Amino acid sequence: MYQFDWSILWGEGGRLLLQGALVTLELAALSLVLALVLGFLFGVLRWSQFGPLKPVCWFYVEVIRNTPPLVQIMFWYFSATVILPQDILMALRDYGFQFVAVVFALGIYHSGFIAEIVRGGLNAIPRGQYEAAEAIGFSFSQSVRYILLPQLGRIIAPSLVNESVSLIKNTSLALAIGVADITYQARHIDYSSFRGVEALTATTVFYLVVCMAISGFGHLLQRRLSRHRRSAA
Amino acid sequence: MNWELVLTENNIRRLLVGDWPRALGGVALTVELSLIGIVLATLLGLLVGYLRFAGPRPVRWIAGGYVELLRNIPLLVLIFWAYFAPPYFGFESTKFASVLTAIVLFNAAYLAEIVRSGLLSVPVGQIEAARAMGMSPLQLALYVLLPIAVYNSIPAMTGRYITLLKGTSLAFLIGLAEVTEIGRQINNRLLTAPVEVYATLLAIYFCLNRALSAATGLLEDRRRFNRILCFFAR
Repeated sequence: MYQFDWSILWGEGGRLLLQGALVTLELAALSLVLALVLGFLFGVLRWSQFGPLKPVCWFYVEVIRNTPPLVQIMFWYFSATVILPQDILMALRDYGFQFVAVVFALGIYHSGFIAEIVRGGLNAIPRGQYEAAEAIGFSFSQSVRYILLPQLGRIIAPSLVNESVSLIKNTSLALAIGVADITYQARHIDYSSFRGVEALTATTVFYLVVCMAISGFGHLLQRRLSRHRRSAA
Repeated sequence: MNWELVLTENNIRRLLVGDWPRALGGVALTVELSLIGIVLATLLGLLVGYLRFAGPRPVRWIAGGYVELLRNIPLLVLIFWAYFAPPYFGFESTKFASVLTAIVLFNAAYLAEIVRSGLLSVPVGQIEAARAMGMSPLQLALYVLLPIAVYNSIPAMTGRYITLLKGTSLAFLIGLAEVTEIGRQINNRLLTAPVEVYATLLAIYFCLNRALSAATGLLEDRRRFNRILCFFAR
């Protein structure tokens, strides 16, 4: 039977895992911001059915959602070395080129899903709502502020929380191009000290805690938002 | 662009079938892994989803715990568990079996949730009618609840199947020679055409997933769905 030795998690191993956890959280936060910005942009564009951009948006969302995030990470990473001019590449290298590539790739990957969530949310708001806003003399910014956003937020918040959890889990793919996130460190500890099970356990617990905290926050949010809906009805 | 370097006859053959007949790989292995994974994950998902819906209370808790646990761990970490942990406890696991186990357990958790919400959408009248006709709980589940639940959740399950197929690409991180690994090998040998190699991989996955959605889309025709159901019910 395997003898567990949890002391590995207190010394050097623990320091590495903690570093990795920070990298994972940084990756997740930065790509989430990018994913939200791009996702809202493409979601609104798809919803607006703006003629000339229709095929572009369709292509963007469909290709991104139907291909593996892992291949996309490697595509952007290896392509950047060919496409980007040399001086930009050198500048990026100082900031950890692989890190930037993963943020970029994961941001784009999840923006495809967020775009569909936003489009679905916008489609779910009845047309009468805009017409009513116009009829009582709301300006465009007023109808966005008081009519559109509150309803959209209520509809898409649960899906956005799910998407964030999925994004955090996908940051583990960063190890494919050598970003030292927590999963990478767990593998490293396995190679160097043959204490893979302990390191993997710590990593699993880390993901569980972070993801469950976010889903828990999502449930709380959902409950609050639906309470608002009931009192409004 | 160096397409002629990438799309040589040898490379295309390797991308499609790997080093077959010595060892199956490439698209063929990706498809094999995905199809077996889809079948097993669906069966497990149906079981767990049904137990979460109608099992006795402790069973419901266990099923719920399984879903919550598996949905909050990255697939990659599960694959590492399935591949690197068994040797510590004195077992050996093949790469294929490890990846398959991880993919099935991971996706079954999501499919169970989809099945459960499908079960919740079955109208109460249908259940009461089945009870009134004297159906046993097993008959109720097999002939009324699950068919309606599955039919209603075909779009959601399709989304999960696509994620499952995309997830098979992680197998290359433990060295299984599916299509991403073959692409990586080709890229490492050429070193001059990464854009072309990875664009080819993206195109391959895109086609596979569109084919998968088209196949499950056929099931959304209710008469066809019923015919297939009757075939299995016989």
